[in-house]
Amino acid sequence: MTALIDPRAPRFGAAITSGIAIVGFADAFTSFGPISTVASLTLLVLFVWSVFLPGSHPYKFLFGLIRPRIGEPKELEDARPPRFAQQVGLFFAITASVGLLLASQSIVAIALAFIFIAAFLNAFFNFCLGCQMYLVLKRFGLFSKGN
Amino acid sequence: MPVIALVATATFVGIAYRLLRGRGHRVLGRQQIELRRLRPTKNGNLSTELGKQATLLQFSTQYCGRCPSVRRQLAQLESQHAGISHLEVDITDRINVAARFGITQTPTIFLLNAKSELVYRVGGIPNVLKLNQELEKLGVK
Repeated sequence: MTALIDPRAPRFGAAITSGIAIVGFADAFTSFGPISTVASLTLLVLFVWSVFLPGSHPYKFLFGLIRPRIGEPKELEDARPPRFAQQVGLFFAITASVGLLLASQSIVAIALAFIFIAAFLNAFFNFCLGCQMYLVLKRFGLFSKGN
Repeated sequence: MPVIALVATATFVGIAYRLLRGRGHRVLGRQQIELRRLRPTKNGNLSTELGKQATLLQFSTQYCGRCPSVRRQLAQLESQHAGISHLEVDITDRINVAARFGITQTPTIFLLNAKSELVYRVGGIPNVLKLNQELEKLGVK
């Protein structure tokens, strides 16, 4: 089963994600107050949501609102690499939350910085780091067949 | 300040990616590519037809978002020049092929000369100007 998606949808979501991550990073790096906690937990919820229940994700709903204005995409693309990229994002969101539990300012700041860089490159340069990793990791046999 | 540094770093990486992507590089060593072993296709049919001057060998996967547009782009080059053959290898279930040739992304394009030797390779969407320069070196007009 191969799902096809509008390639602009994940980039649209990544733009919002990068905004949340940079705000959280700014706070984590300076006062390490409630803003970085809220940002980390929001990202955790969003990544868990997109990995396990992508069909009902709020980004999908928001993108559905703007899609009629930007027209049809030139091409659809396979959902697997972007979905894998979301799993990579989830890994860093979990890392940020572990940092919160440990009250470790540096873990939270570094995890949010990684999320920001990956989401920012995807949104504004169409460079999906997680997608690039997909084939490389497949080569090392990290996925079972059909994944 | 750290925010500015982080945004600047990400922007720098993004710009570098945009400038460098699709440029490809020349390959030394004249490695012969055995098309028969790769089972390439042309328009969905098995074909090992070498171009008189150059062959564009495209490695694709089914989950690759940009492979179809590159396929069209290269097929167009093939139809515009008599000496070019465009072949495609689907490596979705043949990850060993990717390992053998060090392919880390799809599409990856190999430019072969008339003797089926690898002379130039590109990972990602090829830069048309660079690709045309390399084709000209092989005598494609």
